[in-house]
Amino acid sequence: MSNPTFTTGAPNEMSHGRVCIEGRHVGKTFGEVVALEGATFSVPQGGFASVLGPSGCGKSTLLRLVAGLDTHSGDLIVKDRKVEGPSEDVGMMFQRPTLLPWKTAVENVLLPVQLRGRVSKDDRSQAMELLALVGLDGFEFSYPRHLSGGMQQRVALARLLMTGANVLLLDEPFGALDEFTRERLNIELLRIHSSVGATTMFVTHNIAEAIFLADEVLVMTPRPGRLAQVIHIPFEHPREISLTRTQEFNDLVFSVREILGADQ
Amino acid sequence: MSEIVVQQGSVSGARGWRGFLRQLPLQLGAFVGVIFVWWLAADQEWVSPRILPGPGEVVSAFWQLVTTGILIDNLGVTVYEVLAGFVLGSLGGFLIAVGAALYGPFRQVVTPYMVALQVTPRVAIAPLLFIWLGFGALPKIVLAATICFFPVFINTLTGLTIVDEDERELFRSLRASKSQEFFRLRLPSAMPVTFAGLKTAISLALIGAIVGEFVSAEEGLGLLIQRFSFQLNTPAAYAVLFTLTVLGLLLYGLMELLDRYIVFWNRNDRMLKRTRRMEARYRRQHVSAPSGAATPSNSGLVSSGTGSTSQQGGNK
Repeated sequence: MSNPTFTTGAPNEMSHGRVCIEGRHVGKTFGEVVALEGATFSVPQGGFASVLGPSGCGKSTLLRLVAGLDTHSGDLIVKDRKVEGPSEDVGMMFQRPTLLPWKTAVENVLLPVQLRGRVSKDDRSQAMELLALVGLDGFEFSYPRHLSGGMQQRVALARLLMTGANVLLLDEPFGALDEFTRERLNIELLRIHSSVGATTMFVTHNIAEAIFLADEVLVMTPRPGRLAQVIHIPFEHPREISLTRTQEFNDLVFSVREILGADQ
Repeated sequence: MSEIVVQQGSVSGARGWRGFLRQLPLQLGAFVGVIFVWWLAADQEWVSPRILPGPGEVVSAFWQLVTTGILIDNLGVTVYEVLAGFVLGSLGGFLIAVGAALYGPFRQVVTPYMVALQVTPRVAIAPLLFIWLGFGALPKIVLAATICFFPVFINTLTGLTIVDEDERELFRSLRASKSQEFFRLRLPSAMPVTFAGLKTAISLALIGAIVGEFVSAEEGLGLLIQRFSFQLNTPAAYAVLFTLTVLGLLLYGLMELLDRYIVFWNRNDRMLKRTRRMEARYRRQHVSAPSGAATPSNSGLVSSGTGSTSQQGGNK
């Protein structure tokens, strides 16, 4: 960890292109258990990478490492800086909404600002705008227990955007929601991703979802968790849901399933 | 509008004032029935009048105690002991729980003593307390405090320790400091459990004070009950007993009320009220907004799902 010379070397990476997240042999062991074995990958600035794999393949672990929520082995660089802990540039969203039940929707969205200091009038109106952006206008002052699961997750998304982070890490954010809500939120997420100009890593175990959203799919396999293959997704943005019915799309789904199946 | 509210009330059972009023005849009827059976039992002397005086005698004994000022004076003493003991005990329990939650070593050292204190019948300490602290209000306060201490301690400790792991991760990812995590996440998370402990504690504090007065006292409701019982003045003893019941109810009600307003996020009606109030305030401040748009919205980016979301919410 105490390797200050590495940070000075990092700008070299930038000259190759605008890499935002880069990992070289990133690993994690919990005691005897290898949760993640040397993953090497990179996500360009403004890119959208899905992290796909079955349970126990270390995909959530990988995301937590990028978020700086745990220590890692190997080299992990986010925005030219070695990951050594949670950063202001990096925002995280979890499978569960993790809203504070004693705060209204808008107060929950303001939490990141509140933890940094005083909440200004501008912050408030920005939080209101973000809630409108995720389709929750009219619910700003509702408490989480009065919101449906999908709406709670939208609040969490607005809170993520409120952090001002432009590296967004989402750990199966819509996994607990029904198919219809999930589809709609995915499309909204894509629009927000491009309008904010964020770099996004999105963990999922749904192959079609992973392909639909991403420019690149990091396919992971379990026991021990490792990065099996990185697949480039050629489809143009913005994407419509009709894309999922095309032959090319389904061929891709099939080939990804092959990779996952072969290693199991 | 009000009709709709009434209908909702009848669907979701007795809630709020309307529900209370609807249930009132039944409750009153049952109460009158109990009093009548009591009166009948005493009047027909199914039970000896020494054991069971009639309601009339108890009421007149009560009135006498009130007019002579005896009841009020002694009530004041007991209330003071209960409240002082409750505040001392629950504050102590709360603070030690906070310490134990924050520092592992402290928790390990202190927990066995807490449990030892809890399993020792505190009533047994009472005689010793009088040796240590004399015969004034202090030993009763301390007894009440030691009895009501534990539920607050254990509930607060549990509440502070069992905080959702994802929520802690969230706070870490937002780079919250330790004290921010404590005051903005752990403490509020623990509040509902702490209040459950406080409600138990207030009743226990009353027990502590009364037991203390039984052992030795010059004033207090416990002393009165004991004295009237020795004098076989059962109507007066009953009058004091009912006073204690009412006192217990009031103290519990006070905690219930505090709980209702402080831990509002466990109460649907409280949350709705707060939401309405904040919405109204926001609308008042943004009256000048063009074309009645209450919320500033970035129309280019507003989702297509907005309409259906509103519908979802409308169903709630």
